[in-house]
Amino acid sequence: MQLTERQATESKKGTMLAIEDVGKIYPNGTIAVQHANLNVGEGEFLCFVGPSGCGKSTIFNMIAGLTEPTSGSLSVLGDSPRAARRRNEIAFVFQEHTLLPWSKLIDNVTMPLTLRGVSKKERIAEGERVLELVGLKDYTKVLPRELSGGMKMRVSIARALISRPKLLLMDEPFGALDEITRQTLQDELLNIWEQDKRMSVLFITHNVFESVFLSTRVVVMTPRPGKISDIIDIPSHYPRDDEFRTRPEFGDYVRSVSDVLKH
Amino acid sequence: MDKLAATRVIEPASAIRTSMKRRTPSGHSAIPHPIVRLLKKVLPPLVVFVLFIGGWELIVRLYGIASYILPKPSDIVSAAAHNSSNLIASVSTTIIEALIGFAISVVLGIGVAILLALSKTVEKSVYPYAIILQTIPVVAIAPIIVIWFGAGINAIVIISFLISFFPILSNTLIGLNSTDQNMKNLFYLYNASKLQTIWKLRFPAALPYIMAGLKISCSSAVVGAIVGEYIAGIGGGQGGLGYGITVAATRLQTPYLFACGLSAAVLGIVFFLIINLISNKLLKSWHESAMK
Repeated sequence: MQLTERQATESKKGTMLAIEDVGKIYPNGTIAVQHANLNVGEGEFLCFVGPSGCGKSTIFNMIAGLTEPTSGSLSVLGDSPRAARRRNEIAFVFQEHTLLPWSKLIDNVTMPLTLRGVSKKERIAEGERVLELVGLKDYTKVLPRELSGGMKMRVSIARALISRPKLLLMDEPFGALDEITRQTLQDELLNIWEQDKRMSVLFITHNVFESVFLSTRVVVMTPRPGKISDIIDIPSHYPRDDEFRTRPEFGDYVRSVSDVLKH
Repeated sequence: MDKLAATRVIEPASAIRTSMKRRTPSGHSAIPHPIVRLLKKVLPPLVVFVLFIGGWELIVRLYGIASYILPKPSDIVSAAAHNSSNLIASVSTTIIEALIGFAISVVLGIGVAILLALSKTVEKSVYPYAIILQTIPVVAIAPIIVIWFGAGINAIVIISFLISFFPILSNTLIGLNSTDQNMKNLFYLYNASKLQTIWKLRFPAALPYIMAGLKISCSSAVVGAIVGEYIAGIGGGQGGLGYGITVAATRLQTPYLFACGLSAAVLGIVFFLIINLISNKLLKSWHESAMK
């Protein structure tokens, strides 16, 4: 009941993503996702938490159009994920930085534009814009191997932002980073997101603290079979900073997410 | 006692090193001078070379071995000098044949590998035959090639190509198929076409493998050209090293035979070094294998 109410409030803003009774059963019989319902509005920041095998990545793959659901329906901006992707409305960041080791940063971040055949002049202008967004505008001519892990992840984020996506899918992007770098990048990601209030972000993480710090809502998933157990609102206002991490309400949210995960 | 002996051995070596450092203009700095570094690299194999050649010369002289059985190094040098115009002509003929054979291998090897990599079905149906082709001894196919293409440069080039083709094909194919799955997903998600994925991702990612294949093939191309000259060689001024070797062998001109053989080895090494240089130039900025 609570769920549907929330969905009703969200649908007043433009709907970014609608997942209706989606299920995914793999050919070997594994039920990866069962009866998933979720509505994501424009400008939301949703974190998906849950143990391995709970179907987070499967849901992401379906939203990205890499796999099709076996039941139910899934739409991005009222269209199929594939169509949305073809219109460059979806962008991706993975845990691995997935940068081309032989390409300079400017060529790496402009790769999506190169593939689309955008002119060089426009590519460079856009490349410089996104590298500036992530604080790397002086590194355009540098090769990825000269960067630290955190910087590589920034480049990866810059590349995702170059197409000005409406939906940003991030699959455990900060999972391999140390805690200090992770927190810096969380702050920067929130800054970037707040600059473009229409962009929705879906963010997979194993880290409950991270999920509470970043998101407007936390989607808690549990395995066997993979399903959405609960969706927890994090109504605290933005901008969120280090001070937010020490507030009692932060602890309360972390506790309620952890409680759902344990059940 | 043992310890003492050990220190005595080490002492002179370190003394040489410090004296060498002192002689160089920037010898006082912590980083050794480039010339010193070069000497350190070149000197050990050079010493072995001098010892080997000296020992060879000495043994042949001491035991009075006939030069048609085992020529002295000095005999080989003088035979090469005496027939220098023939040797140079042979070497240049072989260079041309090996170069053409290698070039065809590069173009076809990489080209076919890309075609195979574009479709798993094509790869599965064609690749086994490429392996079969590789396992048939070239010496067995060579006479057929001579029948089809006639004796001379055409047949020789084809034999050189046949020997050097497969390492390029198989290495390029492995390289193209080893692209990181995450990267492939990323390209797919950004709507890259198959051709774009090949040119912008899979081919550059396969370069280290391709260069490894080229390193094997460039020396094989020289071997192929010489084998080709053996079987399909032509006489006169146009004969390559293989032809020179056959003639020298039948006339028992063993010193010249050695000169031809050594020239072939040098040729193979030079080919290899050139490809190695190109490989390092292409990969040094991003691939571990070529980084210092």
